[in-house]
Amino acid sequence: MSDRTLSQPRREQLMRVLVIAQLVILAIGILFPIAWMVTSSFKSSADVTAYPPTLLFRPTLDNYTRLLQTTPFFSYARNSLIESGSSTLIGLLLGVPAAYAASITRASWPALVTLSARMAPGTLFLIPWYIVFRDLGMVGTYGALILTQAAITLPIVIWVLLPAFDAIPRSILEAAGVDGCGILRSLWRVALPLVSSGLVIATILAFVFSWNYFLFALVLSDENTKPLVVAAFNYIGEGSTDWGGLMAAATLIALPPLVLAIAVQRWLVAGLTLGAVKG
Amino acid sequence: MQLSASSRHRGALALLSMPAVLFTAMMVVFPILYTIWLSFRTAPLGHATQFVGLANYSQLAHAPQFWNSIKVSLTLYVISLALQLTGGTYLAVLLFQAKRMPAILRSVLISPFMVPPVVVGMMFLVILDPSLGAANWVLSLFGIGPSAWLASPEWVIPTVALIDTWQWMPFVALIVLGGLQSLPPSVYEAAKIDGAPSRLVFWRITLPLLLPTLATAAILRTVDLLRFFDIIYVTTQGGPLNASDTLNIYGFHIGFELFQFGYASALAMTLTAMVFGVVLALNRLRKAVDW
Repeated sequence: MSDRTLSQPRREQLMRVLVIAQLVILAIGILFPIAWMVTSSFKSSADVTAYPPTLLFRPTLDNYTRLLQTTPFFSYARNSLIESGSSTLIGLLLGVPAAYAASITRASWPALVTLSARMAPGTLFLIPWYIVFRDLGMVGTYGALILTQAAITLPIVIWVLLPAFDAIPRSILEAAGVDGCGILRSLWRVALPLVSSGLVIATILAFVFSWNYFLFALVLSDENTKPLVVAAFNYIGEGSTDWGGLMAAATLIALPPLVLAIAVQRWLVAGLTLGAVKG
Repeated sequence: MQLSASSRHRGALALLSMPAVLFTAMMVVFPILYTIWLSFRTAPLGHATQFVGLANYSQLAHAPQFWNSIKVSLTLYVISLALQLTGGTYLAVLLFQAKRMPAILRSVLISPFMVPPVVVGMMFLVILDPSLGAANWVLSLFGIGPSAWLASPEWVIPTVALIDTWQWMPFVALIVLGGLQSLPPSVYEAAKIDGAPSRLVFWRITLPLLLPTLATAAILRTVDLLRFFDIIYVTTQGGPLNASDTLNIYGFHIGFELFQFGYASALAMTLTAMVFGVVLALNRLRKAVDW
């Protein structure tokens, strides 16, 4: 009997070590491709194609200086910023009031539309968009890109904010109504401050998904309005001979979403999985 | 609800959602209706469209490349979903047992699905290069021979499934972890008192209670997997030998390389119907296993 009680804590300790060991191995596996991309971007052209791969190497910034000097990387980055930033703004301006109204009236259509927009394949929208924008002479304009990207950001904003508004106790909103607050004022003064973390998450997720979205810009952008993800695709054609430059471009393009996501990681997981979990 | 009692309020609320409604009508509803309409017509570039009835759909039904795409999409879907649900559950159980989630671990877990798919394609092009890639080198350390990965018609789909699993398994794990954390602790306590072995507790108690969460995760992944595009477009463009030509890659080829808008619309409608069908079926399953 005393033998059992003695071995119990040791068994639990051993279990814990096993769990952590497995988690460490998995985390290394998950991190490996990203780490490989980043380290490759600092390798000289001889090191980056060495086989077997060189693990210890003299880091160089050559790939980055070459990328920034020989390609219009900064203007692509500016395009990405303009398109993702504006479409995020539109998504918020339209989505916040809509989510608020839907939360109060318990309307179900915004959730439905959000879901349908998420379910339909991009080509379903892209064919009519392309035809209409072509007839309007808008293919290759920021306008077309911002509008189509807003079709990505609006559902995200509603998806994240609807449960956040739903979580506000109704009595607080009613009190604001009794105090004679207009509906806009009670949204601005009472409800928005209560969902501020949801708002941050909605903004960041909308921006990241718009930044990452490839298909619409692939068809609707031209050389002057091309965002980074589409430009990156061109680098691949050239990059078959220049892995260092390709990985430098990849690293720079992935950096903004990664930094933004990691900055708000704790909330982000909750925002993404909210409503996905029974409760 | 007191707030909606006054009609002035109701009008103001309708006004609040008006911009989003108009935008949705213009950018989502109108294009869907337009695509349905186009799918019954031919739309040659520079000419007026013509009604052709079901011709586009029957062309689809008789195109071997369409059936190839169905096979490719479904194979990719089944392999990826199986890998992501089992791997995600395994990872979630580990995270649940570890009890604490340090910020660094959470950062590692969210990183893959925050990286743009285009960048994911770029990094794996380099890592999976048949002659100089790191993947074959790692395999060689374990005495395993090299693979052609994306360049092999047999292996391209499993390889893409592995890439997508790398990117989305942590996301599935985080959802499942949320499900595990919301299970009533009393269930475990009762099992513990009864002295049930932990393996039995997992298979007989935890897993059945997790099924609704797993179904939700499956729905979220289904939506992305059935319309798989970015990573394949960036890495193989549907090749080698159409072995990775998913429905969306095929549709893009018809629509924006051949500009056969009518035919491409019929394909887009078919793909949409497939996605909705699978999602509805999974949703019924989710309700059936709910507790």
